[in-house]
Amino acid sequence: MLPELRIILLLGAIAYLLVILALLKKGKLNVQYSLIWLASAVVLIIFAAFPYTVYVLRDLLNIEVPANLVFLLLFIFVLALLLSLSTIVTGFASRIRKLTQTQALLEKRLRELEETLNKKE
Amino acid sequence: MKTLVIIPCYNEEENLDRVIARLQKEYPAADYLVVNDCSTDSSEEVLRRGKYNYISLPVNLGIGGGVQSGYLYAVEKGYDITVQMDGDGQHNPKYLPAVIEPVANGQLDMCIGSRFIHKEGFQSSGARRFGIGFLSGLIRLLTGTKVLDVTSGFRACNKELTAFYAHNYAQDYPEPEAIVSGTLNGFKIGEAPVVMEERMGGQSSISPIKGAYYMVKVSIALVVHRLILRKKKGAK
Repeated sequence: MLPELRIILLLGAIAYLLVILALLKKGKLNVQYSLIWLASAVVLIIFAAFPYTVYVLRDLLNIEVPANLVFLLLFIFVLALLLSLSTIVTGFASRIRKLTQTQALLEKRLRELEETLNKKE
Repeated sequence: MKTLVIIPCYNEEENLDRVIARLQKEYPAADYLVVNDCSTDSSEEVLRRGKYNYISLPVNLGIGGGVQSGYLYAVEKGYDITVQMDGDGQHNPKYLPAVIEPVANGQLDMCIGSRFIHKEGFQSSGARRFGIGFLSGLIRLLTGTKVLDVTSGFRACNKELTAFYAHNYAQDYPEPEAIVSGTLNGFKIGEAPVVMEERMGGQSSISPIKGAYYMVKVSIALVVHRLILRKKKGAK
């Protein structure tokens, strides 16, 4: 690998990590959901700083081109992430539903309470 | 027996007055609750003006979440029987006793008003009948329960099943899915013959183009339900 490319990759991976940390600091990303992102940034930095690790992994898995190993890992990561996002959205949807229903029932009680109070006056 | 009729309502300004008046005339013994699922027309105005008993959802949840709010209300108020009845006038309250009876005497946990037992009254279009027949066969295959009118929203539940649905009610395709989830959790579900009418006014919520797509999605959802839920024999 050309040293220039290596430096660019390393800088890119560090920038990625910094963006994640900045989002965390601003409170725009939950710590709970940020762990997987932080982990991915660390792995990218390791790959960029020590390409040797990719070569070792490639030999272990018998993949011809090292880049393919990186793409495979990225694809698996994205797939897992999308699935986890779906489960998070499902959780939100059911919470919103529950809140909506409870709110509607409470609104009815409040409406009736106000009516009886108005009658008494 | 304390009975609650849940009337889900989405943009039914034209029908509400008639539906409620007819219910009070034909079956005055029952209380009712209109669930206004964030209608975009003047349904809410109609409900307020008529001093009807209603709840109003602040965001649109769809028929599943709407009906489930009714079940939650029934649990809160301790009703013995809850009946779900459409707000578009398709379901004639004259047949409420027929639907409630099997539940009241303990024969069934849920009784569905079916237009296909005696094949009288409004039978829906041929394509829809075919679709409903297919879903009926699928449900029978998956659960062993024989229900002909699986998409009918005219159904009575006893107290236990109401409590169950208040916490686990299918959201996307609630009518057929509720049959599958109810049966798999050990509840007994059957049908009683009723005569249905064509809706009084307004637009149906299912357009014909969506029909085929609906069929595929419901079928997959039912199979998934069967796969994830273990059958509890005789357990309640």
